[in-house]
Amino acid sequence: MLVAIGAAIAVFTGIGAGVGIGIATGKATEAIARQPEAAGQIRSSMIVGCALAEATAIYGFITALALIFLA
Amino acid sequence: MEQIKEELTAQLENPTAFTIPIFGGIPVSQSVLVSWILIALLALAAFLMTRHLRQEKPGRVQLVLEWFVELINGMCKSNIGGHGRSFAPWLGTVALYIAVANMCGLLGLTPPTKNLNVTLALALTSVVLIYGAAFRFKGFKGGFRQFVEPVPVLLPINIMEIVIRPLSLCMRLFGNVLAAFVVMELVKLLVPAVLPAILSIYFDIFDGLIQTVVFVFLTALFIGEALEEA
Repeated sequence: MLVAIGAAIAVFTGIGAGVGIGIATGKATEAIARQPEAAGQIRSSMIVGCALAEATAIYGFITALALIFLA
Repeated sequence: MEQIKEELTAQLENPTAFTIPIFGGIPVSQSVLVSWILIALLALAAFLMTRHLRQEKPGRVQLVLEWFVELINGMCKSNIGGHGRSFAPWLGTVALYIAVANMCGLLGLTPPTKNLNVTLALALTSVVLIYGAAFRFKGFKGGFRQFVEPVPVLLPINIMEIVIRPLSLCMRLFGNVLAAFVVMELVKLLVPAVLPAILSIYFDIFDGLIQTVVFVFLTALFIGEALEEA
């Protein structure tokens, strides 16, 4: 029972990743709207930022899985 | 809960497909077997698609191939810089393999990237390439200087990065494929029809391609960082 609660708390990292990716995408859209000619560079830096932000959610997910299956 | 757990544990195992009967039996696991099948398919496709290349009036297949090669070359050039062309073949190959491996669930095969060992191997090759690049293009001394840049105080952090980079590359790919797989299993348990088919378009095709782009792109970016002002 406590293991399930612990796993649920670990999965809460998804909130951070969601907010982070949301902010990054919003700012990137703004930047592209302001300077459409720089769209390529903005998009590539956004993808890197999103990938790094998303990694936190993945770490939380793997921690939760490890808790459920290994504990 | 217990039933789901057992089901998932059974799916996450990497069963031995068959054993090569030499040297006392070499076990070949399922992900290796699927990888071999994919490699054979890719090699066959490469052979068949590049047989009738023409300079005048290129066919449809040739246009697609040229688009892909241009895409990889352009990405290498813009992220790595002058030496980008040397890394394009390897990055293109890895991109093809990861994309096919992520999407082979559509054909009923188990994606090899669902196995942590496969993604770890991919990440390790990437990291050898990243740190090897500086030794290749900046010389022996320059290769070691990459660990004390921009200031020597950062040496411990730079050394830590040797471990963190492959770990995060490998965990990202593995975690995404696994997360997609677990979500799909749960959806199949709740709604057995229609909905899984729609979701599989997102998880198998879209997410698979995004992760391919992220993996190749991050590798290229790290190489570019290592080769800066070379």
